[in-house]
Amino acid sequence: MSLHLPVLIVVLLLAASYTVPLLDRYRRGLTLPVTILSLITAFISSLYLLYLIGVQGPFVYHLGGWPPPWGIELYIDYLAVYMLIVISSIGLLVIIYGAKDLLHEINEEVLSWYYTLYLLLMASMIGIALTNDLFNLFVFVEISAIASCGIISAKADRRCIEASIKYLILSALGSGCILLAVAMIYMITGNLNFDYVAAALPEALKLYPYNIVIALGLFVVGFGVKSALFPLHVWLPDAHSSAPSPSSAVLSGLVIKIYAVALVKLLFRVFPPQIFEAIPILDVILFLSVFAVMAGSIFAMVQDDLKRMLAYSSIAQIGYIFMGIGLFGGRALTGGLLHIFNHAMMKSMLFLAAGLIIYATGIRNLKDLKGIGVRMPWTMGAFAVGAFSMVGIPGTSGFISKWFLALGALDLNRPFYVAIILLSSLLNGIYYFPIIIDAFFGTKVDPVSEFRDVPALMLIPVLILAAGVIFFGFYPKPLLDLVNKAISF
Amino acid sequence: MEVITKLLNNYYYFAAMILFVIGFHTMLTHSNLIKKIIGMNIMDTSIFLFFVSIGYVRGGRAPIIQEGAGYLYVNPLPSALILTGIVVAVSVTAYALSLIVKLYAHYGTMDADEIAIIRAREER
Amino acid sequence: MDDLVIRSVSRLVVPFIQLYGLYVIFYGHLSPGGGFAGGAIVASSMILYGLSFNLEAGSRKLGHDVSSFMESGGAIWYLIIGLLGILFGSNFLANRYAGVSLGTPGQLFSGGIIFFLSLGIGVKVASTMITLFYSLSGGEDSSGSNN
Repeated sequence: MSLHLPVLIVVLLLAASYTVPLLDRYRRGLTLPVTILSLITAFISSLYLLYLIGVQGPFVYHLGGWPPPWGIELYIDYLAVYMLIVISSIGLLVIIYGAKDLLHEINEEVLSWYYTLYLLLMASMIGIALTNDLFNLFVFVEISAIASCGIISAKADRRCIEASIKYLILSALGSGCILLAVAMIYMITGNLNFDYVAAALPEALKLYPYNIVIALGLFVVGFGVKSALFPLHVWLPDAHSSAPSPSSAVLSGLVIKIYAVALVKLLFRVFPPQIFEAIPILDVILFLSVFAVMAGSIFAMVQDDLKRMLAYSSIAQIGYIFMGIGLFGGRALTGGLLHIFNHAMMKSMLFLAAGLIIYATGIRNLKDLKGIGVRMPWTMGAFAVGAFSMVGIPGTSGFISKWFLALGALDLNRPFYVAIILLSSLLNGIYYFPIIIDAFFGTKVDPVSEFRDVPALMLIPVLILAAGVIFFGFYPKPLLDLVNKAISF
Repeated sequence: MEVITKLLNNYYYFAAMILFVIGFHTMLTHSNLIKKIIGMNIMDTSIFLFFVSIGYVRGGRAPIIQEGAGYLYVNPLPSALILTGIVVAVSVTAYALSLIVKLYAHYGTMDADEIAIIRAREER
Repeated sequence: MDDLVIRSVSRLVVPFIQLYGLYVIFYGHLSPGGGFAGGAIVASSMILYGLSFNLEAGSRKLGHDVSSFMESGGAIWYLIIGLLGILFGSNFLANRYAGVSLGTPGQLFSGGIIFFLSLGIGVKVASTMITLFYSLSGGEDSSGSNN
């Protein structure tokens, strides 16, 4: 029974997402409990899967009982389980926060649709993490693209709708590239299963090198658009800043990273290592990631809007993950993958804290935040923890992933990237510290007139995430063990 | 000369690629959102054409096996995959169109550039 | 669009389109077609009805309640059929491996669970298409109700 667990998680989330609209009609009060319960189940199942593969090692699951060349295969290894835990834990905390916050951000009629799309997004992301089949990957990528546009446009605000159509069009472009790449791969190998393709590609590389190079390029462009790698990031600031706060937290925290993980799976498990000699794709990724890290921070510095600043900061942070992919030397990739969880924690926490500030005071402009720390000590305390972690102060989890990235760069004799990491940390400091200093020590220019008390249910997820950032900053061993197992392809 | 023969032998791949570029170009350069969606559909269709032509066998029939008939059958897998792809493309198109309807209600225009101008004026 | 010719013709044609759609759904495992194609044909008949009479008459034939029930129901039906595979000791969506009788090839009830799966897909696709049509044409709020 437990071997069916991976598919049951996806089925459970899908079933819950289709049940929610029905419940909305007959028992409206049950929609939220069903959503939260299914995510709790998914989280517990992910932890159990971690235990299970610890006991018996990575295993495969054949849908419909059909063995690989014919059927769809799920491959449950440490990387998949790592992503499962990241997705289900952050997803659960964000929707607990969203239960109250969404009431004032979106209309009541579309609230149950929001839960539907949210669960669909979770199911599709878990599917991307688990699948071992190229076309299945494409289908899950498309579902997650539509669902993530949906949770932006759920807010009946014209800026949200504009942002989501921009996102939808660019992400359809990315999907087109991915599908064309899948077609190229299928054309020369006749297989869609990752393992079979990986077995066929070294031989095919001699016969049809152009097809494989084009497919690789299309995959990088497609997933690059979707995960907002630097020159392809234009959709992100609008989409992530105008969306409802829980959507921003999930989109910035999880969605852009799952595409990076899909790219990691393809680059290192499917494509043969010889391809990196034929075309310097890793160097291209590295080059773009350096630009992403610098440009994201520089753009973030000039923003007035709190959520827009956080959105630009995401572009810089996704750069670190791609830097880890591009360096691909043991510890650098550890750092990059570790940053997926760390950044998921801190960025979703920062977006939720920003949401709390907007909920309580309605302030979005950075200049009006002076003295807010006195009014909302817990929220701004969590915000400060997140900001320290973004900068990479020792004792926070952000430090650990940057440390491993830097170590990995030194291992490969590329100290230039250490300098880049240090410089961008400095830039992060330049735009995060003034906010905190103003919030706690700034004198209020004009006292905030309307102030709503923050419900405990909204504050608790933020505090849990802040505690997580500090805990994994001091005790990163469990995460490190998991990530080190995950990158042994 | 060799290139031309190769192109002529694989004219369906060539056509698919031309369509792909047309769609890509339309999607990126036109500011009218409806045209962007049309471009997206052309691009998707070109990929479907490409995918289906991979599985095509000249003179093949639909792969419903009849005992002892000895027909040639086309590869059914690309067609089955493309059916899924079409479903996805239809839902993306429908969703995009419904967003455009809403956008038109809010801004009174379907032109991305004009919307950007309106927004810039608002923010000032 | 109140035209006698259009109305009479569509009144005549709609049942046949629906019959053809059902045929495509039910024979999906025997001939080209299946749940998606058949569901789209059935939906097109309802859309034709709505266009040639008027939209309100069309939406009365299949109310919003019913179509959203069918949408969720079709998907859940698919998942339940899939889970039966696990229940019968094989994997998700298992067909032959779960011991389902495959019947004689060429007969209507052959192919095990594929028949039931295409039925679920057909219901889901038809209702989704109809909902999409009405929400796009009526300007009704449709924030992401498709999947």
